[in-house]
Amino acid sequence: MSRLFVANRGEIAVRILSAAKSIGLETVLGASAADRNGLGAELADRVVVLGPAVPARSYLDENLTVQAAKSTGCDALHPGYGFLSERASLARLCESEGIVFVGPRAETIDALGDKLNARKLAGASDVPVLPGTPALHSVDDACADAEEIGYPVVIKASAGGGGRGMFLADCADDIRGGFTRASEEARAAFGSGLMYMERFIRNARHVEVQVFGDGNGKVVHFGERDCSVQRRYQKLIEESPCGILPEGTRLRLHEAAVKLASDLAYRNAGTVEFLYDSDTDEFYFIEVNARIQVEHPVTELVSDADLVALQLKVALGEPLGLTQSEIELQGHAIECRINAEDPDHDFRPAPGDITRWNPPNGDGIRLDTYCRAGERVSPYYDSMIGKLIIRGADRKDAIGRLDRALGVFEIGGLRTNLALQQFVVQHPDFRNNAISTRWLEQTGLPAFAERQQEPHHGAH
Amino acid sequence: MEKRTFQDINTLIELFENSDWRELSIEVEDFSLHLSRDEGAAGPAWQPSPVARERPQDTGTEAPPTAAEGPAAEEGADSGELDGLTVVRAPNLGLFYRSPKPGAPPYVQIGEEVGEDTEVCLIEVMKLFTPVVAGVNGILRRICVEDGDLVEFDQPLFYVEPQS
Repeated sequence: MSRLFVANRGEIAVRILSAAKSIGLETVLGASAADRNGLGAELADRVVVLGPAVPARSYLDENLTVQAAKSTGCDALHPGYGFLSERASLARLCESEGIVFVGPRAETIDALGDKLNARKLAGASDVPVLPGTPALHSVDDACADAEEIGYPVVIKASAGGGGRGMFLADCADDIRGGFTRASEEARAAFGSGLMYMERFIRNARHVEVQVFGDGNGKVVHFGERDCSVQRRYQKLIEESPCGILPEGTRLRLHEAAVKLASDLAYRNAGTVEFLYDSDTDEFYFIEVNARIQVEHPVTELVSDADLVALQLKVALGEPLGLTQSEIELQGHAIECRINAEDPDHDFRPAPGDITRWNPPNGDGIRLDTYCRAGERVSPYYDSMIGKLIIRGADRKDAIGRLDRALGVFEIGGLRTNLALQQFVVQHPDFRNNAISTRWLEQTGLPAFAERQQEPHHGAH
Repeated sequence: MEKRTFQDINTLIELFENSDWRELSIEVEDFSLHLSRDEGAAGPAWQPSPVARERPQDTGTEAPPTAAEGPAAEEGADSGELDGLTVVRAPNLGLFYRSPKPGAPPYVQIGEEVGEDTEVCLIEVMKLFTPVVAGVNGILRRICVEDGDLVEFDQPLFYVEPQS
């Protein structure tokens, strides 16, 4: 029997532990002291405490993690998302210790982690990329290139992700004002201040394709997700399928993602992210996320697949038996990320003790969480406390169910974004699927703030 | 049997402390507890689980113990502080070594005097060896871990009787 080390926390640790149990694996959870008595710790066959709550001394220390996996006799390690999940060095360290890394090969993680290189790879696979530049060497270079590409442009960190070290420029002054700071931010966060530029699309949707490879060139996809409801490049609502894609475009999108992954002989689960320009019906490659993603459950609900169990099986040597025609996508699923943060006060994190936890339940309702009444939401980690995922016959049905589920979800003891999520789900723009990646910041949040000021919806 | 709680463990420890027994061993299903008044007793208060003692190459099929065992057993160890002893704890997870190198004499022995800056053991993480200091002036009274064992963050390693 195989023994799996889970190198993560929160809901994804719970998710991985459950999947591992369902296929008969033994489990060891590497936790920080803050998480030693959590739900993940209860589910795991064994818990080892790596270090104190501060992530740098626990979840972000790859040596501690691999030492723990090795000394507890684990033969595989699942990194989850965030933390060490996309560090090629962790994959290498596992490999050198004879531990199976549940994810892509280290070389693949390296090749895709450098965003400029990933753009090159996409281009080589005939996947459309946005007009853009190679590495920018100076502010003057950047300004000259921007003239050529045409404003607005977005300037990004090659080593980056998640919007850090990234900014939008409408004119040369914006570039002059933002370039150095963004480059320094990128250097601090990712160890490299290398920047590049892409044309900015005004009416963009974030659409991504879930792919899965056997590492030998066989790749299947599980359809796409639309993750256009974002704040500061952080996704808040994700759904599958993307309701606005014409069928022909959807097929080309899937083909592009599969082609790229197949050319890379991609191993295990990955996501190919695109921007979709709804004005021109064109899509452009953004990046590949070489890990399981937060929003994988919407794909699971429409495909009836257990992606995490599949990750584990394929990593442990089972062939990827699925063929594309066996993957049937049915219905519509939407996920809301439930965060312990206060939308009335600039989304400041709101850690604390959960005193009341009454989640919705019923047909088509899934909740992925590590929380329950009495749980302490630690200030050391991400504010996401759970994911409410709803399946419906179609988008309208799913929205109706989601609205009701959000309405009865009671969380006491700390501030959450539940009210904001329900506001978005009830908004006509969302219902009509007439949003872009900037909709929440430009339209949704101002409307929410106004509503909050009405007497019966006051903040207190 | 219902899941053991901290209260259950505390009750057992109290019972033991108020008795004249020298040792108490309990094993129920996947749970085991060993209490002893003997400082040099073989059963350390903090019981590493069986998986911890396996060598990396032998990934035996015995089931790992339940998660409840770790924290529960540790609660037992904490009672040592009731004796007025100070606990020296692991700064992080790693492998515990009593000697600066294989074959060398241990850093410290039971009954020896230690100072705040006295190195008492090494913790290894992926071939990186970091010394741990006592952090207190006193007499070393108990060693809780076997040489080469996996220790977790905050796990008791030594008990020191403070001296002013």
